[in-house]
Amino acid sequence: MAKTIYWIHGGSCGGDTWSLFNADTPDFIELFDFLGLDLLWHQSLSVRSTDELQALNDKILSGEQQLDILCLEGSVIHGPNGSGRFDMLPAGPKKDLIQALAHKAQFVLAVGTCASFGGIGADSDIMASGLQFTKWEMGGLLGQGFRTLSGYPVINLPGCPCHCEVVVGTLSAVAADMPLDLGHYNTPTNWYGVMVHQGCTRNEYHEYRVEEKKFGERGCLFFYMGCHGPLVTGPCNKVLWNRRSSKTRVGVPCFGCTRPDFPQQYPFFQTRNIEGIPIELPDGVSRAHYMAYKGMAAAAAPKRLIKRKTGI
Amino acid sequence: MEKIRKVIPLNRVEGDLELHLEIEDNVVRDVRSVGTMYRGIENLMSGRGPMDSLVITPRICGICTTAHLNAAAKALDMAYGAEVPDNAQRLRNVTLMVEQLQNDIRHAVLLFMPDLTHATYAGQPLYGEAFRRYAVLKGETTLQTVKETKRLLEIIAILGGQWPHSSFMVPGGVVSVPAASDIIHCRHILRNFRKWYEDRILGCTLEVWGRIRSWDDVQAWLIAAPEHQNSDLGFFIRYGLDLGLAAMGQSHDTFISCGGPDLPARTEVVPEGDAHRFAPGGFYSARRTMEMDPRNISEDIACAFFKDDVPARHPYEGRTVPLDSEDDSQKYSWAKAPRYDGRPAETGPLADMVISGKPLFVEQVEQRGANVLLRQLARLVRPAMILPAVDQWLAEMAESRSPFYQDYSKRITSQGYGLVTAPRGFLGHWLTIENGLIANYQVITPTAWNASPRDSHGVRGPWEEAIVGTRISNVQHPLEVEHVVRSFDPCLVCTVHAMQIS
Repeated sequence: MAKTIYWIHGGSCGGDTWSLFNADTPDFIELFDFLGLDLLWHQSLSVRSTDELQALNDKILSGEQQLDILCLEGSVIHGPNGSGRFDMLPAGPKKDLIQALAHKAQFVLAVGTCASFGGIGADSDIMASGLQFTKWEMGGLLGQGFRTLSGYPVINLPGCPCHCEVVVGTLSAVAADMPLDLGHYNTPTNWYGVMVHQGCTRNEYHEYRVEEKKFGERGCLFFYMGCHGPLVTGPCNKVLWNRRSSKTRVGVPCFGCTRPDFPQQYPFFQTRNIEGIPIELPDGVSRAHYMAYKGMAAAAAPKRLIKRKTGI
Repeated sequence: MEKIRKVIPLNRVEGDLELHLEIEDNVVRDVRSVGTMYRGIENLMSGRGPMDSLVITPRICGICTTAHLNAAAKALDMAYGAEVPDNAQRLRNVTLMVEQLQNDIRHAVLLFMPDLTHATYAGQPLYGEAFRRYAVLKGETTLQTVKETKRLLEIIAILGGQWPHSSFMVPGGVVSVPAASDIIHCRHILRNFRKWYEDRILGCTLEVWGRIRSWDDVQAWLIAAPEHQNSDLGFFIRYGLDLGLAAMGQSHDTFISCGGPDLPARTEVVPEGDAHRFAPGGFYSARRTMEMDPRNISEDIACAFFKDDVPARHPYEGRTVPLDSEDDSQKYSWAKAPRYDGRPAETGPLADMVISGKPLFVEQVEQRGANVLLRQLARLVRPAMILPAVDQWLAEMAESRSPFYQDYSKRITSQGYGLVTAPRGFLGHWLTIENGLIANYQVITPTAWNASPRDSHGVRGPWEEAIVGTRISNVQHPLEVEHVVRSFDPCLVCTVHAMQIS
């Protein structure tokens, strides 16, 4: 029997849906057919009148209509002052509908960083939260102990936006009743078990500490230009964006958008450092060893890299 | 007959919109356009580093992300006195316009057309074909649109890293240094898109369409070849006329545009009008186009859920102090009311066409007034106007020795603004830097203009005005009102401001 899926927007820019439109094999349209998913509602695409949507919601909440997969893109807005009235539906604050639907779903997917952790607006008076986290803290809308009818917590798929392959892959696993291995912050290890750094075409520069201080160059952006690639997980340089590329490959530093604190409270495009070495080091690395290694790496750097003579 | 009040929340618009209608005798007598969500982005900019706007403001909207990036970068260019070298200007223009191209078709096919497949129209002779082309998730044109626009966006990924949400434009140019092979790929992708657009959407070459100057020419074009009739454009014109879309959605007939992007100093692309921009900006009213001076822009909050001592402010002085939405019954929207010289104005592809003097559209606005059919027609044919320039700039990028970035000195106290034609129309960012941090950041999006609530004089916003007078066949489902609103390509995610700091 077809599994049902309901896609709702919270405090959203719509980016996760438009990112999903980049999907290839299956593409966004083929996705539902391939996976045997019945799309009950998508805010950007469905043709249902208000009354029809209300009737659908009533059926889900009464149990008459099974809801297998609930996807939220965008944050849960609690402001002002916990009332949720900064994001209203005719029936009341949207967060109330999201909460009610989540309790009826077999699986709940937080698509994107805003739905996972609050994201844009988590530090402002709109009091944005994720479904089960508010930035680093567990809780969010549904509370630390929340489990869906399938026994999973909220499955977080961060990224700003979420990469289309993550959504397609996760939906594929759920649709086929395959287990999902969840790692840190309840993100699937399939896509969040690799650092953004792995696969960046500037890796050779990184290896020999050939680091840029201004834009328009080909070297590494970690030491001075704020790149989070070595610090955060995400599939960007493994799976690539739009079949071809990634930010770091073209010279845009990674902004750490899969991390619970995105957007960070300190300036982008710069790396905070002590004695010329970044304050934030890759997970598990000792500073003393790192300084020694980077010192030797810089000394070993070949001229062709120092002169930026490669074609990358 | 009694007045009926109906609240319809709309989907298939970016974001959240409600229309509160007053209907009598099946005609809409009054309407309030209500942005129902507040995300507070302007306010969370304050106190941040100025370059953070390049990361945060694209997140205002998932579909116009590059346009926001461009506006933010331009505001920083101005604030820092940074110059943008030719190749950077070309790259910025290419990516901005590629975003426009995909949005024009995606909106028309995925967001607007499904309404025309509603069962209400099942009795129409062309209904079956509309369903075959545009049924949600199934239509022939729908499936092709998803594939072709997705391919086109690879250009932005090649040149800028990814789409949506990259930050490859910076003050002084762009960060990217594309190789000749990258640019060749982009041109192949563009050529592919152009071929599909000409074959499927337009039904003729760009040159043939470029010769159309009047409605008579359109009629002649329709019958000149079966490919013209049967293209999506030809079909839309015929079906739209059958459904009466040309008689729906008349508004104030005032328009605003900031024109096409800035030209590189050396280029073979021929501008229309103003020599520094690809297309001129302006403000059109009463059959005249005037120069558009951004100092005449203000945002009125009389009917918006914000508080202030004065009814309207220029964006440099703008502030976003939200009210609890139940405080004042005169106020009804999270969208402010942008005004030019105190007047509402419509923006979007139609505004761009009228202000750049495209004869067909000027003629139609003067004869029939802006309407649903005309707005969508402008959107469907805009790619024809910009595709050649995009390819030309790609070619020039490959040949030119110009750098892609030029250094500058940061100023710690400064102001700047960036005006860009986003897919939906006129977008502006206004930035004030004090002591090296953002002191104020205001954004006026195209949908803010179009979705505007009333102002302190009680004058309705453009689509409010367009909805009043619409005849509805079924009060339980005011489909005609949906046509009117969607013809503006609404994006409410951008339009409701975020605010607050301190």
